[in-house]
Amino acid sequence: MLLILETIDLNGIQSLYSLSNRLNLNNVLPNKVTIWKLRNNNPLRKSYVTNNIKLKEFDALIRITVEMSKYLYPYIREILKSKEDIEEDSVIWNDFNKRFIELINERFNIDSMRVKKLLNQAENEETIIKSLLILSFCISNQGYQKLKNFLYDF
Amino acid sequence: MQNKLSFHQSSASLEIIGLPDYSNNENNDQISIISQWKLNIVDKPLIEGKIEHLGPIMDAFYIYSNLLIKNEIPIYESKLIDIKADNLNIHNIVLKSSKPNVKPLVLKIGNALLSDTINCFDQLNESPKVRIKKTDIITKNSKKLRFGLNNKVKLLNFFIPPFIAICSLILFSSYFIYFNSPFENIEKKELNKS
Repeated sequence: MLLILETIDLNGIQSLYSLSNRLNLNNVLPNKVTIWKLRNNNPLRKSYVTNNIKLKEFDALIRITVEMSKYLYPYIREILKSKEDIEEDSVIWNDFNKRFIELINERFNIDSMRVKKLLNQAENEETIIKSLLILSFCISNQGYQKLKNFLYDF
Repeated sequence: MQNKLSFHQSSASLEIIGLPDYSNNENNDQISIISQWKLNIVDKPLIEGKIEHLGPIMDAFYIYSNLLIKNEIPIYESKLIDIKADNLNIHNIVLKSSKPNVKPLVLKIGNALLSDTINCFDQLNESPKVRIKKTDIITKNSKKLRFGLNNKVKLLNFFIPPFIAICSLILFSSYFIYFNSPFENIEKKELNKS
């Protein structure tokens, strides 16, 4: 989810940190390194480390994801829309997918089969669309609870 | 004079028309008795109906959107509304009229319009100015959530330390079986003397 948001926002890491400050999450996420460490709990990453993520850290990540989705909703919407018209040349979708693959190559362990699937433009479509939909459904005030439910069921 | 409240999200807008419940000392700008609602999606026919249709339609959209992202077959069917996925990007909505001899209204919407509509419903659900029977589908915790991380952490914290303590006690004490007991030796010596 965070990588999808980072694909849209070129300055994603800074935005995540600014949002954590705005949401008063400084005690849980005091700096960018903490956010980076938490994101390294993802087993698909090159720099995967098991840090035993705490519940309050997990909640804080959900809060900043929801908040960032609110700001990026117009972009998320446009990406989804550009995929709908099969006949039209979906430039926005192609740009998004290209940058997403670049980020995956840069950050993820490309030897993993699941990552290889994400790198394949023909196969990653479903994962990206579903992730974008989840983010777009969680921009309301109850977005935090909705995203939490979605993540547990994912 | 009826009150009118609108909820907008990009290409979709939801309008609620109704009156406050004065017998309940409600403010003039509140809506508790909904007489009509209209869902306007850009480039699509207007969807409107009575209060008894709003709840089931909202529930249909919420259930369908949940199915869509949970890797389950995205099909919702009811007396009032059917929603099916044509493919991952296009959704087919069939709204059936309760009046006889009225053809069902068929709409095709994409993911962008679907999320706009869901967000309009979210705004309505969260609005303090409209009193409707709130849908619990969006905030209802899943089974996995209820028995998930929270309980797991608590259960582990509760059971693992005493379990480890008992196991280590058994392991530690079992080593003494192989050592000579001093009391046993004393007893043997005393027996030999006698």
